[in-house]
Amino acid sequence: MNRGLLAGLIAGIFSANLNAETCLSPYIKQKTGPEKVMYLWTLPAGAGSDYLSVIDVNLASATYGKILKRIEVGSAGNEAHHMGFTDDRGRIWAASLNTSRFFIFDVRTDPLNPRLERTIENVPKLTGLTGPHTPYALPGRMLVTMASGPEGTGPGGVVEFTNEGEYVASHKTPNHAYEIVVKPEFNRMLVSSWVPQKMFMSPMSEWDPKQFSDSVTVWDLKARKIVQELKGDPVPLATRWALKSNASYGYSINHAGNSIWMFRRGKDGVFSYAKAADLSPGCLPGDLRLSADDRYMYVSCIGGGEVQAWDISKPEKIRLHDTVQGLVQANMMHLTLDGKRLYVTNSAISSIDFSPRYALRLIHVGPDGKMKQDPFFAIDFSQAPNGPARPHDMLLN
Amino acid sequence: MPVHGKRVALLLGATLFLFCLPANGHEERPVGASPLTKNAPMPAIRMAPDFALDGVRLSGLRGRPVLIAFIYTSCTRACPLLSARMARLQKKLIAARLPAVLLSVTVDPQRDDAKKLALFAKGFGARPGWHFLRDEPARLAPVLAAYDEWTQVLPSGELDHPARLHLIDGAGRVREIYSLAFFDEEQAFLDIVALEGK
Repeated sequence: MNRGLLAGLIAGIFSANLNAETCLSPYIKQKTGPEKVMYLWTLPAGAGSDYLSVIDVNLASATYGKILKRIEVGSAGNEAHHMGFTDDRGRIWAASLNTSRFFIFDVRTDPLNPRLERTIENVPKLTGLTGPHTPYALPGRMLVTMASGPEGTGPGGVVEFTNEGEYVASHKTPNHAYEIVVKPEFNRMLVSSWVPQKMFMSPMSEWDPKQFSDSVTVWDLKARKIVQELKGDPVPLATRWALKSNASYGYSINHAGNSIWMFRRGKDGVFSYAKAADLSPGCLPGDLRLSADDRYMYVSCIGGGEVQAWDISKPEKIRLHDTVQGLVQANMMHLTLDGKRLYVTNSAISSIDFSPRYALRLIHVGPDGKMKQDPFFAIDFSQAPNGPARPHDMLLN
Repeated sequence: MPVHGKRVALLLGATLFLFCLPANGHEERPVGASPLTKNAPMPAIRMAPDFALDGVRLSGLRGRPVLIAFIYTSCTRACPLLSARMARLQKKLIAARLPAVLLSVTVDPQRDDAKKLALFAKGFGARPGWHFLRDEPARLAPVLAAYDEWTQVLPSGELDHPARLHLIDGAGRVREIYSLAFFDEEQAFLDIVALEGK
């Protein structure tokens, strides 16, 4: 056995049942068995503090499908948006689009009772950047994409902190950074892009297409250095690398182009980037998830109010496989590792939401990749006990 | 020897066999291996918390890069493979005359007594400059906590713990944190070369 095979063996030990869900950072610790609890980063539709909803998703539980707890962060108007586990699954970093704060929750001590451990208030001063989007785990550290410069305008970057919240470094990007994906096997990180903070916190009628970013940057992860910039349709939001070890390709959803794009690392290490499909008119994609076996890809349509399953078993010839309709403003999705359950929320950003029918829903996926919405699982956030609220990003534990 | 012990011995033997290839610096990098990065900037992450275990004080090693791994000897999967990679790293460091120190700290002091650790070290051919450390649980606990290490017993009896390695420069600053799952001794070697300015 050579060292290449041995490296594969080590990675294999860790990649089997790597997460309770797909599309997390590959550095995040193993979690076996079905999900028991969901953490949902929630912002009130009216006044009040943003909060972490703790939801029972344990199928064997008497309180299955209920909100167990709300952990308020003690300040309002943060615009709760995306979250990420640290590499040891011990903490959740929750970022706020509007106030550029980071909220760090301890979920290790008692997974059903997360505790707000630390709030980092002065992120723009520390980092020189604003509009945090995606917290993403590296060993012992968190990377967070930042949309813009210190005034909420201009190019953003990627910032780096220790898991505990100590600032390490800022890395500038030529665009408005949105999301990170890493493939350690290639020492490469891809960062997608969108719009600056001042724009995304404004009504969509005020968005200026001239300021839309249209590129995915390719980084030497180790050196934290951009080595290539891939240009495509504007606003490439969610970007996912195919999940199998050493997979050299992946996809992005390009919101303003209403399209799916494919990237591929060539044998010479240079990346190509080309449109893989046009989405149905009016889809306006919001999120993208892959099944663990890289067979299906799920796209949510904020505009079209549906979730689409794409067959990507032939990566260069993807095709629409199934659709679930009637999910107004469908946005964030999280797919369980077994590929059977797809959770969906439907608030995008408070500045652009067009429907107040906020809810968390569940789609079941059959072995044939066909989807069916669960008629019994629904948490109606428009009727939340403390007032209507907008549910956005989720994590499963 | 109990069954569990036999399993460990078998795995240890198999792992050692796999790593009997010489680390002579002339091997082809395997197809599909991660591209290496020379002279990575590696900004300081934080000061490494000091500790003294088994008579080895971290601050006493100043002036030399130190690589700290958290392991336990009855771990049947990842730890032996990691330790084998560290053995390869040590061979490369010795061949390059780089004075780096390797520390393998057990997270399981109840089961890993001094004798077991010494046997484990011998099994991997550890040479001077690679220390396998333990201490009484009460003295070890604050060290583990300072490195954000924790343990949880799994139903299988194995210990769950954050799988990280910390590379510390000669000034006592953490400059890189590696994932055990993706640890690459060749990249770690280049990182130590970069820290030494060579």
